[in-house]
Amino acid sequence: MDLRSYKRVRRRKDNLTGYLFILPSVLIISIFGIFPVFFTLYVSLHKWRIKRSRFLGLANYGELFGNVWYLLIVVAALGGIALAGYLLSRTKSSSRPRFTISGVFVLLIALAALAVFVPYLAEAGDGGMFGSMRVTIWYSLGTVPVQLGLGLLLASFLYQKIPAKQVFRVVYLLPYIVPSVASAAVFERLFSLKPESFANQVLALFGRSPMQWLLEPKGIFLLMSGERMAATSENIIANYWLSWAQGPSLALLSIMFFNWWVFVGYYTLIYTNGLANIPRQLYEAAEVDGAGKLTVFFRITLPLLSPTTYFLTLLGIIGTFKAFAHIYVLRHPAARGEVDPMSVQIFFTFFRKSRFGYAAAMSLLLFVIVLVLTLVQRRIMKERVHYG
Amino acid sequence: MGRSGSSWLKVLLVVLLAMGAFVSIIPFLYMVSHSLKSLAETVTRSSAIPFDPRFWPRVPQWVNYKVAWQEARFGLYFRNSVIITAVTICGLLVTSSLSAFAFAKLRFPGRDLVFSILLATLMIPQTVLLIPNFIVVAKLGWIDRLPALTVPFLASAFHIFLLRQFFSQIPDELLESARIDGASHLRSLLSIVVPLSKAPIFTVAFLSFIYTWNSLQWPLVVTQTPRWRPIAVGLTVFITEAGPETHLRLAGAVIAVIPVITMYFIAQRQFTEAITRSGLKE
Repeated sequence: MDLRSYKRVRRRKDNLTGYLFILPSVLIISIFGIFPVFFTLYVSLHKWRIKRSRFLGLANYGELFGNVWYLLIVVAALGGIALAGYLLSRTKSSSRPRFTISGVFVLLIALAALAVFVPYLAEAGDGGMFGSMRVTIWYSLGTVPVQLGLGLLLASFLYQKIPAKQVFRVVYLLPYIVPSVASAAVFERLFSLKPESFANQVLALFGRSPMQWLLEPKGIFLLMSGERMAATSENIIANYWLSWAQGPSLALLSIMFFNWWVFVGYYTLIYTNGLANIPRQLYEAAEVDGAGKLTVFFRITLPLLSPTTYFLTLLGIIGTFKAFAHIYVLRHPAARGEVDPMSVQIFFTFFRKSRFGYAAAMSLLLFVIVLVLTLVQRRIMKERVHYG
Repeated sequence: MGRSGSSWLKVLLVVLLAMGAFVSIIPFLYMVSHSLKSLAETVTRSSAIPFDPRFWPRVPQWVNYKVAWQEARFGLYFRNSVIITAVTICGLLVTSSLSAFAFAKLRFPGRDLVFSILLATLMIPQTVLLIPNFIVVAKLGWIDRLPALTVPFLASAFHIFLLRQFFSQIPDELLESARIDGASHLRSLLSIVVPLSKAPIFTVAFLSFIYTWNSLQWPLVVTQTPRWRPIAVGLTVFITEAGPETHLRLAGAVIAVIPVITMYFIAQRQFTEAITRSGLKE
């Protein structure tokens, strides 16, 4: 056998080995990770209660959104916001006022369209699903920035030369490690409505009367205003935005506490790692130039941490879209679904109501939202993130 | 800034860090103290401050753990969780190191395409997979059986990605010389790559241990009887049934937490490193 044909045989054998090695993973991931996406689409086009019954076409989506025209207007308005963002970001590079003016113009029109048509869309579509979207958004807003802030703060403390670093690290990560069912079972008691519960005991320390915590469906701003913001008007638009103005429910806030408790330590650890990767010479150079501590933080530390921040933000937002175990334990019927983000709403539509087809349609909506968020964030970060 | 100034600052930092650690720990203290109280004490004897004797029981009721253990069949749930976790970790290690090696070190047509398709699956939320996978698993007759709880998790794009990152740093010359000596690819994977990659392989094992031991949604859906119910599902069911009996609920929580915490303290350095590493994907 000459060398060339030997090499060919060997290459063919190498190819075969490669395919054999990836075969088990590819098989399992295809069956349980890729095929299901198409199968969900198929399920969502049917009336499917445990067993498939009849083809419905887009009727499930119709029930979800109610009115196609409202949906199209809202989607167009969201596109308008994206366009405005693009135009405004161009201003910086080209310094042409034309972009600023048209950007602001598009933005205003899009916001006005959203302000009017989102309430009508929510009214025409599935109220439960739109409610759970509001919960998801509040949940993201109430958890991700807090976790980023506290995590960065603790990480910058932990980064200094202090004793017992590893002890802090281990303790901070403890809430992240334990089964969330178990720790949620503890929080369910900490934030119960009983006067002897931990949260109410803390209130008692400050001489405040006990609250309902996890059982309170009312928004926190509504409670703070002495219930003066209760919805009374007949106007669809006013009513809808009032439901936003009332804020996340106190029950959801209690769940946010749980989220902070679990994730602040994790964020701290990831940020500590990010800080350790910043080259020391940069700080030394800044010191030579006589830069102050704040300048160093905002000009060096924060920009160089932006990949970490980007990763944690994305992780946090996607986390709120798949939150399940702790909410399953912490949710109480008295909170009237004011703590259920989309993932939980979908789960109950599927598991309790056995509406497989409709739940599949909802889950594809969730998929589209997560995908758009990921792409938008990737786009924004491409321009803003420094990869050192 | 003077020397004394910076040492004061350091004390302040440590105090603040210690406060953070204290907040992390309070729920655990509450869990332990209330799991040892009597039913009456959980109502009448309470305080928000762990330094207050009323935070703790007058006489620790160790019997609570026994009652919880018997009432909820925790023995069975425990055994199930151990088996499910062990099978998943072993399978995952085999599939992901094989494919990570192929993606990092072997050349074959379509390699990069397949790899990027696998990576794209990381963007798919679990909720989307829940319904179709349930239908498929039910069709296969796997409800209430071990394969439903393990097979879908025997491969993961994330872990392949993690290992591939590390495997590709291993110099090719090392593998080439083994090839010249007539070693097969499988042989070089087992005798060269794996021994060099203990840390990332531990990472994969730890992360999948935590994930499998703690997961609730999928096991909740595919187990209808206690037969193969893992501990997270068992505890959830128990919590709903125990109702107002705080001490028993929390005794159940302690039982579910203990194995994880024990593992964590034994291998804390590997754990913290594994989790930091999991955050390195950008």
